[in-house]
Amino acid sequence: MKKMTPEELEKFIHQNLRSLPPRRAPRSLELRVLAAIERQATIPWYHKSWSYWPSAVRMAFLAGATGVTGALVTAFYLMCNGANASAVAVQAGERLSLFTKIYHLALWTADFAVQVFGRIPSLWLYGGLALVAALYATFFGLGAFAYRTLYRNNN
Amino acid sequence: MTAPPDFTTFMRNYQDMVYSTAVRLIGNETQAEDIAQEVFIKAYERFDNLRTSDTAGGWLKTVATNLSINHIQRYKKRWRFFSDIVHHDDEGAEKEVEFAAPDTFFAGVDSAERREWIEKALEKLPEHQRVPLVLYHFEDLPYEEIAKKTKVSLSKVKTDILRGREALAKILVRSGSPHEQFET
Repeated sequence: MKKMTPEELEKFIHQNLRSLPPRRAPRSLELRVLAAIERQATIPWYHKSWSYWPSAVRMAFLAGATGVTGALVTAFYLMCNGANASAVAVQAGERLSLFTKIYHLALWTADFAVQVFGRIPSLWLYGGLALVAALYATFFGLGAFAYRTLYRNNN
Repeated sequence: MTAPPDFTTFMRNYQDMVYSTAVRLIGNETQAEDIAQEVFIKAYERFDNLRTSDTAGGWLKTVATNLSINHIQRYKKRWRFFSDIVHHDDEGAEKEVEFAAPDTFFAGVDSAERREWIEKALEKLPEHQRVPLVLYHFEDLPYEEIAKKTKVSLSKVKTDILRGREALAKILVRSGSPHEQFET
C-alpha cells in the first residue's frame, strides 16, 4: 500500500467523481412536474403571489394603495397643522362609515372577550394554560423520541 | 391547462442533470426528486425565456444547487433539536490512511459496478463533507464561493473537503475488493 499526498488524493477523487455519468431521474418526476403545473393552473389568481395577479388588478391595487397612503399622509399633515382632530375624524367617519362600523364591531368583540374571560376563575385559566403547556411538552418530547428511535435508526 | 409539448422535451433533456445535482448534494433520492420538481416548476414559469436560451442548462443547475443547499440548511435547522450535530468521526487530529495506488484501486471491477460504489460512497459521507465536496468537484466552485453558499468559514470548507476526500477514499478502500459487496 502506498500513501497518497493530498494533491494525488484530490486528483484521484476528482477523476473518479467526474467520470460518473448523470444519475437517471426517476420516471415519476416528469409526471409529478406536469401534475403540479396543472394543479397550479387551477389555483385562482387571488391565492397566488403578486406576480401572478392580472395586470388590471395590479393597477387597481396600486391605485387603491396610493389613495389610502395619500389620505393618511394628508390627515397627518392636517393634524400637525392644527386642524381640529375631532372635526377631521367626524368628516372622515362620515365618508368611511363602513370602517367605523368595523371599528365598533372590533371594540364590542374585545369588550365581550374581556367580560367573558373576567368571569372565568383565574385558577381555571392558569390550569388551562398549564395543561396546554404540558401537552405541548409531552408531544414535543414524544416527537423527539420517535425521531431519534425510528427515523435516525433507519438512516 | 397543460404544459406545452416542447416543455416536456425540455424537461426530458435536462431532468437527469437536475436530479443528479440535487441527489448528490442532498444524498436522499426522495428529497432530490422534490427539489427537481421545484426546479422544473420554476423553469416552467420562465419557459418563454428559457426555451430559446443557450444558458438554460446553467440556469437549471444553479437553481438546483441553490434549492438543494437551502433545503439542507432549512432541514438542518428544523431538526437541530432532534439530532446530534457533532460528528464524532470528524473530531481530533487527522489520521493517516493508506490507500491502494490509484491504478490498482479498482482492478478487476467493471465500470458500472465502480460507478455504483462511488455514488454510494458519496451518499455515505456526512453532509458537511459531501456538500462542499460535490460543489468543488462537480460544480467547479472555488473554495470562497462554497464558503459563501454554505455559510461556513473558508478554512472549514477546505478542511471538510480534504476530510471528505479522505473519507470517500476510505469507504472505497473498504469496499474495494471485487469480492466484497458494497454495504447499503
